[in-house]
Amino acid sequence: MKILRLLTLAAGLMILIVPALSTAQGDIEAGRAKAYTCLGCHGVDGYRNAYPSFRVPKLGGQHAAYIVSALKAYQAGDREHVTMQAIAGTLSEEDMQDIAAYFAAGGEEAVQ
Amino acid sequence: MKRWCLIVIALIAASLSATAAAQPIGDVEAGRSKSQSCVACHGAKGDADNPAFPMLAGQHADYLLHALKAYRSGDRNNAIMNGQAAALSNEDMRDLAAYFSAQEPAIYSLQRGSANTD
Repeated sequence: MKILRLLTLAAGLMILIVPALSTAQGDIEAGRAKAYTCLGCHGVDGYRNAYPSFRVPKLGGQHAAYIVSALKAYQAGDREHVTMQAIAGTLSEEDMQDIAAYFAAGGEEAVQ
Repeated sequence: MKRWCLIVIALIAASLSATAAAQPIGDVEAGRSKSQSCVACHGAKGDADNPAFPMLAGQHADYLLHALKAYRSGDRNNAIMNGQAAALSNEDMRDLAAYFSAQEPAIYSLQRGSANTD
């Protein structure tokens, strides 16, 4: 009886946890459409931030989890950058996951 | 006369910016020896396998330098990186940026797709 209760608990936990894990994975195709604005700067090789002057980071193949954490930091104000804060401010958690998945997979390379 | 002055000034400015672009941002070998505490999270050559940490191998050196300075100044707030960057001089940052940028690229520039984005 005790075992049955444990099994039920375990099954219940699985039902709760498994979908949570799967939503942590972004949708590459959805990310492709949502990344349109991003590619205005990050899709131009050698594109420079105006002031201070530096080339905007390469994001192709970067870890998705890191991209999401960076976007959240801009949204929360933990990273200073006027443009990135404005853009990240418009994104939902799902948007961030989708965009990160698309970049991590290599952008257009992933969908070609 | 005025025009000549302008041309001379323009030429000097152009040559200055050309040398600035050609110069490496820092010393790759010095960066390698300074990278000991970075590699625990970012991987031996900046090819981090833990997805929580960014891959740095092949990243633009000037972006890496900007990020390090932002962690040191507090423009970027991150528990780990604020502490790490606080210990670094400008020269350290330049050398580290040069080192990780010079490694075999783990990341690359994205390309905007064709007009077909439906």
